[in-house]
Amino acid sequence: MEFWNIFLTLVQSGGYTVCLFAIVIICSIPLGFCITMIAKSKIKPLAMLARAYIYVVRGTPLLLQLLFFCFGLYYLPVIGPAIFISNRFASATVAFIINYSAYFAEIFRGGLLAVDKGQYEAAQVLGLRRGQTMFRIIIPQMVRVCMPTLSNEAVTLVKDTALLYSVGVVEILTQAKTIVNGTYNISAYFIAAIIYLILNTILSFGLKRIEKKLSFGEDA
Amino acid sequence: MSLIHVEHLKKSFGKLQVLKDVSFDVNKGDVIAVIGPSGSGKSTMLRCLINLEKVSGGTIEIEGSTLVQDGKYPSNAQMRAVTEKMGMVFQHFNLFPHLTVRKNLELPPRRVMKATMEQVRKDSDLYLKKVGLLDKADEFPANLSGGQKQRVAIARALMMHPDILLFDEPTSALDPELTGEVLGTMKALAEENMTMIVVTHEMAFAREVANHVVFMDQGIFLEEGSPEEIFGNPKNERTREFLNKIL
Repeated sequence: MEFWNIFLTLVQSGGYTVCLFAIVIICSIPLGFCITMIAKSKIKPLAMLARAYIYVVRGTPLLLQLLFFCFGLYYLPVIGPAIFISNRFASATVAFIINYSAYFAEIFRGGLLAVDKGQYEAAQVLGLRRGQTMFRIIIPQMVRVCMPTLSNEAVTLVKDTALLYSVGVVEILTQAKTIVNGTYNISAYFIAAIIYLILNTILSFGLKRIEKKLSFGEDA
Repeated sequence: MSLIHVEHLKKSFGKLQVLKDVSFDVNKGDVIAVIGPSGSGKSTMLRCLINLEKVSGGTIEIEGSTLVQDGKYPSNAQMRAVTEKMGMVFQHFNLFPHLTVRKNLELPPRRVMKATMEQVRKDSDLYLKKVGLLDKADEFPANLSGGQKQRVAIARALMMHPDILLFDEPTSALDPELTGEVLGTMKALAEENMTMIVVTHEMAFAREVANHVVFMDQGIFLEEGSPEEIFGNPKNERTREFLNKIL
């Protein structure tokens, strides 16, 4: 197969890659923020639970979590068969969301720490309510602080989608391996690498624009 | 009736008693300068008035409504309603860095008082003009000098139409050549009869603008009186010592 054929075949199987990326970003950012807030809440048992969640998820391999959700869940006693999702892409997506939300939660925690205490005080003195303070004053500043780290995570996520290979979802890398095995030619791997680079280039460009927008008059 | 009535105010941080037994009254139009060494409890006293710190004991009444009675606080709604009548200007400005100057001024009244855009725009123009920064309306705080930031902070406080303004060392974070513009703005407010409590190290300001000066030391009002009395003829040994050191 010549270059363009392989390229197009791989791009076609990139659907899963892009879908996974989009769903995980859209779900795990708000979920991660909720976990941060719960971990900071005054209800101690809830806060402990959130911290345990972050601890366990960040402390174990993503690959293990993937295998667990795609192949292991079914064997959980009693509830296993009930909560098992037979669609592997769907189970893999759940595993990714859980994994990434824990990382995002940690990033947001750091971002909140970076917002000056005086911001809460100024908001209180001006009569803003707790929710208004959070959404209008604190979160925008937190996002700005978090943006570089969030961008980094997003780029990592693009590459991590290749782990779908391990649960048999045909995405770019799986397809590339099949082609390499079938043609005795290594070029499919290079072409797959180029596609990942293109994806990350587009992503980085978009993220840079967001960062610029959030510079608030300072040089980004 | 006094605007602020404070009785036997006490405040401790753990074992450290910062305010021992402070009582005072503030009348409409008063400009009170609070002076004294670091750690004497000046800022803590101010922060208790506007509910940024919870008192350990005592009573605070603002315009006849109770903020705290014998160390007991009412509901959140009540506290909010009572402190609404006060504005505060901080040492470190605490402008919202993600908002332009104009948005800094307009967001609180829009959200808190549900004021219309029209009203709010009229006010922000008025107060920015008053502090001489109308041309900076669309700048972000990061692009302003310290003195300009503090003037914006004053304008932002005015947007909520407070009856009382509290100033917590408003010029202490500024380069000396920038303090003048902020003090000038404050002086203009005093001339318009704004009731103000100013914690400050600016003795010239205290002497010129205040009608009452309080010297705080180790958690009490050690000496108070007219500026002439405090600066001209301090009765207490500690007051004299402090003034000698600073003047």
